Amino acid sequence: MEGAEAMGALLSKARISKLGMTVVMLSFGLAMVMPFVLMISASFKFSAEAFDDPLRLIPKRINLGNYAEIFHHKYYFRWFLNSMLVAMGVILLKTTVVSMVAYAFAKLHFKGRDTLFVVLMTAMMITPDSTIVARYMQYRYMGLINSLWVLIIPSLFGVYFVFLLRQFFMGIPNELSEAAIIDGASHVGIFTRIIIPLSKPALLTMVLFSFIWSWNDYINPFVFITPVTTQVLTVGLQSFQTEYAVDTSLQMAGVCISLLPVLFIFVFVQDYFVEGIASTGLKG
Amino acid sequence: MHREEAKAVVIFVTPFLLGYLMFEALPMVSAILISLTNINSLSGLRDLHSLGFAGLSNYAKALSDGPAMASFGRSLLFTLYYVPALNAFAILLALFITRSFYFTKFVRTLIFTPYVTNIVAVAILWGLLLNPYGGIVNETLKLMGVSQPPMWLYGMRTALPTLAGISVWKDVAFQMIVYMAAIKNVPSELYESAEVDGASKLRQFLSVTMPMISPTVFAMVVTSTISSFQNYALVRTMTNGGPGDASRVAVINIYEQAFEFNRFSYASAQAIMMLMVIMLITVVQWRAQKRWVHY
Repeated sequence: MEGAEAMGALLSKARISKLGMTVVMLSFGLAMVMPFVLMISASFKFSAEAFDDPLRLIPKRINLGNYAEIFHHKYYFRWFLNSMLVAMGVILLKTTVVSMVAYAFAKLHFKGRDTLFVVLMTAMMITPDSTIVARYMQYRYMGLINSLWVLIIPSLFGVYFVFLLRQFFMGIPNELSEAAIIDGASHVGIFTRIIIPLSKPALLTMVLFSFIWSWNDYINPFVFITPVTTQVLTVGLQSFQTEYAVDTSLQMAGVCISLLPVLFIFVFVQDYFVEGIASTGLKG
Repeated sequence: MHREEAKAVVIFVTPFLLGYLMFEALPMVSAILISLTNINSLSGLRDLHSLGFAGLSNYAKALSDGPAMASFGRSLLFTLYYVPALNAFAILLALFITRSFYFTKFVRTLIFTPYVTNIVAVAILWGLLLNPYGGIVNETLKLMGVSQPPMWLYGMRTALPTLAGISVWKDVAFQMIVYMAAIKNVPSELYESAEVDGASKLRQFLSVTMPMISPTVFAMVVTSTISSFQNYALVRTMTNGGPGDASRVAVINIYEQAFEFNRFSYASAQAIMMLMVIMLITVVQWRAQKRWVHY
């Protein structure tokens, strides 16, 4: 009897501390997104009162005019579309190229394989800033400057995901592919019919990260793209801000829309995202 | 079968390797070559007849260029603000997030929102909130009785730490997840026996958690130090180096030399110098790890 009571007391104590932790973590989480809460609120206000009474999160008069104005903006959706095209192109091509080479590093045997892998990993230390001038000159000579391709092609050959996918592919037992080889399957067949379907979590992590990095990229479009109609949303947003310098509510609405695709994807697949960081961050 | 495998190697490796050589390896080599030449005008980019070998003169010039050297100093200062704050905050958060509480996923999403936000949005947002004249933060501080709230991004002394702070806010979620994974991997028996020995929570953290996660701390300190130098987008969108030169870090100076003044070779030399500084710091960190990292 006494034991059961003690147990009950302990349980409720654990429960109370869990509730307490929930309060702490929720408040902290809300503090982290406070700027976004104010932003969303301001985007539905009239500019004059955007931050007059910031604690009034639900505006007195809801104003949808900011969003309507963005809808009619000359370039905003052009930039949005360009960003989307670039992100889609990167995801499609990068997943193909990188998963293929990762398969070679994980499952094929060739001379110099491990040396090549170590060289690639070491070269990851070289920061993109150190080659910015060289890349600019190279893209100029290649005629890539001012085309959306300049944001797609050079970003396909990052080593980061070669590492992630190689680790994942290595975890897939060789017996599976050996059996397929006996049945006469080629490596291309094994890759497309066995390895790829089994690697959905890793591939999804890669797709997510690629989307976020591409969508949020600022430096490359800023340096390599000049025409306003070829611009993407991040840099476009900056000129949007200058254009409506006095209209803060409108700026906030513009910022809001630019965050939607990433947040949308993140909310749905955050488990893969977290898993991906936890596994690569540790080893990388 | 061996021929089949050889054929497969060609098919699977070629696309990546060609692309890598073209778009990753070649720029590394040419970055060094460019820094040794005299392409320091827009016409120099087109007119290859004027192309000449400049030896190490671009490097020598950078070393005696006061503003350039000062910008390197500011980058180092930024690193000193950013790396300790980021890692301490991330470890603290990871300790909390590994405890049990309700709405785990929702809280995680909240913490991750800054991380997935594009830098221009961050700049616009914090620019408005931290505006010294009428921004919410300072208005609130004034209401709380602070008569002279900081100038934040507009202050000579506060611009750089404010930038570092915003950067920590934006990046902390990523580091938190990595530390979270490391903390979860600490065997619970270790805490149990520490508990038996009567160790306090703080004692347990210092003598159990920290040594056990020290390899992760090391890896995170090294990688966040490297990334702390790559703050062009952050600084360009928020202060563009200002006020005055207060936040003019190395990358701001380098990009300006390259793309505003078209001193391509000079900028490339400075970029290579920055890479060497980063590598030097990394080597020092590797050497020092024996003293505190437990494998």
